[in-house]
Amino acid sequence: MTCEQFRQILPEMPEGVCDAEQDAHLKSCSECSSLVSDLGFIIRESRLLQMDEEPSPRVWNSIEIALRQEGLIRPAGSPAHVSTGFWHWRPAWALISATAVVVLALGVAFNQHKRAGHEIATIQTPAVLSAVAPPAKARRAVAPEDRQMLDAISSRSPVMAAAYEASLQDVNDYIRDAEESVQRDPNDEDAQQYLMDAYQQRAVVYQMALDRPLP
Amino acid sequence: MQSKRRAAKLVLVVMVAGAALAAGEVRKEFRYTVGHHSSVSISNQYGPISVKPAPGNQVVVTAVLASDKVEIDASQNGDRVDIVSHVLPDATADSARVEYLVQVPPDASVSLHSVSGLLHAERLHGDVSLEGPSASVDVRDITDAHVHVKTMNGPVTLVNIRQGHVEIASVSGEVTLRSVSGSLVQVNSTSGKISYDGDFGGAGRYVLTSHTGDIEAIAPPYASIDVVAHSEKGTVENDFPLQPEHTSFVVKAGSAFAGTVGKAASSVKLFSFSGKIHLKKR
Repeated sequence: MTCEQFRQILPEMPEGVCDAEQDAHLKSCSECSSLVSDLGFIIRESRLLQMDEEPSPRVWNSIEIALRQEGLIRPAGSPAHVSTGFWHWRPAWALISATAVVVLALGVAFNQHKRAGHEIATIQTPAVLSAVAPPAKARRAVAPEDRQMLDAISSRSPVMAAAYEASLQDVNDYIRDAEESVQRDPNDEDAQQYLMDAYQQRAVVYQMALDRPLP
Repeated sequence: MQSKRRAAKLVLVVMVAGAALAAGEVRKEFRYTVGHHSSVSISNQYGPISVKPAPGNQVVVTAVLASDKVEIDASQNGDRVDIVSHVLPDATADSARVEYLVQVPPDASVSLHSVSGLLHAERLHGDVSLEGPSASVDVRDITDAHVHVKTMNGPVTLVNIRQGHVEIASVSGEVTLRSVSGSLVQVNSTSGKISYDGDFGGAGRYVLTSHTGDIEAIAPPYASIDVVAHSEKGTVENDFPLQPEHTSFVVKAGSAFAGTVGKAASSVKLFSFSGKIHLKKR
């Protein structure tokens, strides 16, 4: 039995009861075993909750509405109606299922939040410097010719590297726009000066990076 | 009464010394005798450098070191003095911090570098060069000298610079010039705002250029300038009545203007790619 096959039949399995094949899979697969263990824990805790306090009918209605909106259940009368009997389950089982859904949703949300948090932390590194640093904006790919310099700085000071990267992106935009101006009118002396100024800015960044030892 | 004051001073000195010792700070002083037009260079990793003039022919460097994680390499070769903060392994930004207070003869040329500290120079008439990726730059009351500034994202402020040759390059730091004039005043910025408030002197060239940063120039009604302003994708605004003149580009209302005010003694060029340009009348 594969994990996929096991998970397909898991919702149908009576609590704590499985056949020899399923049992063999659980013994050989720590992931599925862990999943079953977690679900068992949720079910046990939910029972305790239910014993403590029976939710009002409004709670069931809210859960039903939420599950319909999520497409997890369909309105009664639909051809694929999963359970004419779903909302006729005993409240305890409905609570268990709802709790499981909520816990799983929280788990997914938590994981997504962790990932997003990691990405945000990475992107916002330059902001540390900038009291100084420019406002956060989408990062673009670093030009290959700049990568070597940024790698050298990064090995000594990751925070400074982020600031240099942001500056190089701005300066490269400056150069790109200045080049376009010159291409539009190659005889425009101001445009040529503008391009030289843009390259001067790039030279400043490189000079700052390479002239002196970084902290 | 006098003895009480003396006692109070003594207590204060002891307290300051005690606080410095408790914090692990070390104070060092270096003195060098130099000739006319000497050259002084100070390179610091963390911490400010402040340079002021002093009568005589001495360079006096007072350094306050935050810890023993940083040393000072000081040397003199003739009229050239070099001071370098030497950061030792395992130092942090706090432990490697050095604060410099430097006194130089007024005609000395000064070169300062700090990664992130304040760079300050005032009342000198020798050339001044200040650089630092994230350093804040503040230069005041300089006469008849070159002032060169390079920063990546630190703000730059120049006040009361006369007969100067001023060149500033800053990638994203804000540049503020107040009462700055001279044969050349040139600011080149990528995204920082450039602000000029002054009369544009008598026979200078003023070139303020940015890519995306705004440019604001404020001048008195008596200013005598030949001005050209052009923003490729931004807007321009002008409060002066201009006498029209020939330009190398098509003057499109809202994105460019050109003309003269008074006798057009100084040339003023304000260029931006997408920043807003405003020439204001004071």
